[in-house]
Amino acid sequence: MLGDIASVIVDGALISAVYALIAIGFTMVFGVGGVLNLAHGALIMAGAYTYLSLVSDSILASVTLHPIVAFPLTIVVVGLISYGLYVVLVRTIEENVVITFLATIVVAIAFTELVTLVFHAQPYQYSVVPGVLQVQALGTRILYVELAAFVVSWVAMGLLWYYVTKTDSGRSIRATSTSERGAMLTGVDVSGVRARTWLVAGGLAGIAGVFLGGIGAAEPTMWLEPLALAFIIVVVGGIGSIKGSVAAAYIVGYLQTATGQFLGQSVRGIMSLVVLVVVLLVLPQGLYGTEFVHE
Amino acid sequence: MSDREQTGRSIGRLVGRVESVLRDSALPQGAGVVGAVGQPAERLLWPVAERYNRTLGERFGEVTGLQLLLLLLSFGGLVTAPLWGQDYLRPLTLGAVWAVFAMGWDIQSGYTGYISFGHSALSGAAGYTTGLLVLHLNPELSLFVTVPLSILATTVLGLAIAVPSLRLRGPYFSLVTFVTVLLFYRLTKALSHWTNGLRGIRVDVFTYDLTLQYYMVVVPMLAVAATLTYVGRSDVGTVLVAIRENEDAVSAAGVDPTKFKLWSFVLSAVPMGIGGVLLAHVNAGVDPQTFVIVDNSIQMIAMAVIGGMSSILGPLGGAFLFVGLRDVFLVGLGEELRWLALWLLVLLVLVFARDGLFRLLWRALGALGGDRR
Repeated sequence: MLGDIASVIVDGALISAVYALIAIGFTMVFGVGGVLNLAHGALIMAGAYTYLSLVSDSILASVTLHPIVAFPLTIVVVGLISYGLYVVLVRTIEENVVITFLATIVVAIAFTELVTLVFHAQPYQYSVVPGVLQVQALGTRILYVELAAFVVSWVAMGLLWYYVTKTDSGRSIRATSTSERGAMLTGVDVSGVRARTWLVAGGLAGIAGVFLGGIGAAEPTMWLEPLALAFIIVVVGGIGSIKGSVAAAYIVGYLQTATGQFLGQSVRGIMSLVVLVVVLLVLPQGLYGTEFVHE
Repeated sequence: MSDREQTGRSIGRLVGRVESVLRDSALPQGAGVVGAVGQPAERLLWPVAERYNRTLGERFGEVTGLQLLLLLLSFGGLVTAPLWGQDYLRPLTLGAVWAVFAMGWDIQSGYTGYISFGHSALSGAAGYTTGLLVLHLNPELSLFVTVPLSILATTVLGLAIAVPSLRLRGPYFSLVTFVTVLLFYRLTKALSHWTNGLRGIRVDVFTYDLTLQYYMVVVPMLAVAATLTYVGRSDVGTVLVAIRENEDAVSAAGVDPTKFKLWSFVLSAVPMGIGGVLLAHVNAGVDPQTFVIVDNSIQMIAMAVIGGMSSILGPLGGAFLFVGLRDVFLVGLGEELRWLALWLLVLLVLVFARDGLFRLLWRALGALGGDRR
């Protein structure tokens, strides 16, 4: 029992950091452009499969990179995919919220089919950081990959925090998110800000994808669950708020882990849904957000 | 109004102007053969269309001669399908079932702009009600019992989703419906001693006579189409579209948008129930993969988008086109490539013809006949 509790505390802390990373990207894109990017899950999957192709010799035999090289390369690739998605597709239709919304989900589904076509439906296991850490005192064990996910996620969040509070480029993202008109009046290039936000969100999704694939497996349906979680986290935290996303990621992450441990894996998602409904009804603006209004 | 919206509007105006220039210059004279055939045909058909407009037009919308011809040809084609398409009865039957789904989605999401990803949960509720009744209560249960109960269960689930979520605006609503589907899917697994998990529940087919089965699906489908077209053209439909365009204005006019959104969900849940029952009997069973998964909701959306959202008959056409491509014309491409092609088509329609292919066709026919609405 003590071991169970310890493992919930540890596992929850580790996985929630990755959830936070996903939710931050999702909420930032929504904040600056009003676009609910349902292809965000597809970017996570892109991260897992890009990394897999780069390190494993079973996919592209000629390309086998060391994880230290493959990891940053994956982040860049996914960031660019996200950037491309914005510039090629979303920018041309973003004035219509509903059309954009539908287009992103179609992109996600099409990407699923593309992945199935290229990699087939079976799950791929790959290792990012091999090994297991036994914590004798608590009677629990931690995978090194989970530990790495935790550390890298927090480093990424720290860098992001520095970027959006200390640099002009990052602060213009926050400004646009707070008030688009205000940002425009002070000379912010809103279109550029949006493209940059998609790039950053893609990079974060790439990191999350590598670790989610490493902890579980890379498979064509791996994007649904994180996307639904990102949704829930963003609502609980308040749409558009980075701080809220981190806090909510921990609430939802712990809830998921605890229900999974004590009530069984099949009811894992149900508790989060209950929390979601309660939050929507009692506190529709979330923990740190302003309520979403149609302009 | 934000600057983004303003830019959006001016782009919209620009596109509108380009479109009208193209239409004025190109279609009536420049269409050549099409115009040469179209205009006399229109003159020939106009008296018939006029009679229709005077009698039924008020309720179902006015048409030009060529538009009426399209409607009559489609209707005739559907009714006589067993004569000309004996080999394609299966896809046509499925097309009709999916048309019910697409129209059901459209009256709620297409009209109000509150995009639902939860409609596969609604059709699943109907299928599973029928399945559970047959499996656990009495295998001999009459359709007169299972069908109304299934539709009722769907409506109840629809209200259970709608009442808490429709108080929310914009993306929050879509999100709740999306999560509902995932939850429903998990429940079918978690309660697998009731639902048989992924294997699903066997349900008897209506009949092994494919022709009879086709009519048992097409007749309800046409009834749903007529009812929803009528509703869409009525004051209710106008209010629903107004909610999509400007919800605050609807409130300001003294109409309670939440009430109408709830009604749209009920209006949508009933066809979803009908469609769910039909699909269960056509497929001889109900299981999470063919009923519940979120892909199914997205397929309904895709059909509505291809045909043209908020037009009821557009999604009907879109459903037949989609199922036709999926089950007949693109089968040769193989499983993944076929889906990829389909989704890319939907994406192209979304980007370049967001009003839908059938609405474009409809307008082109109208313009050929000199209709300048």
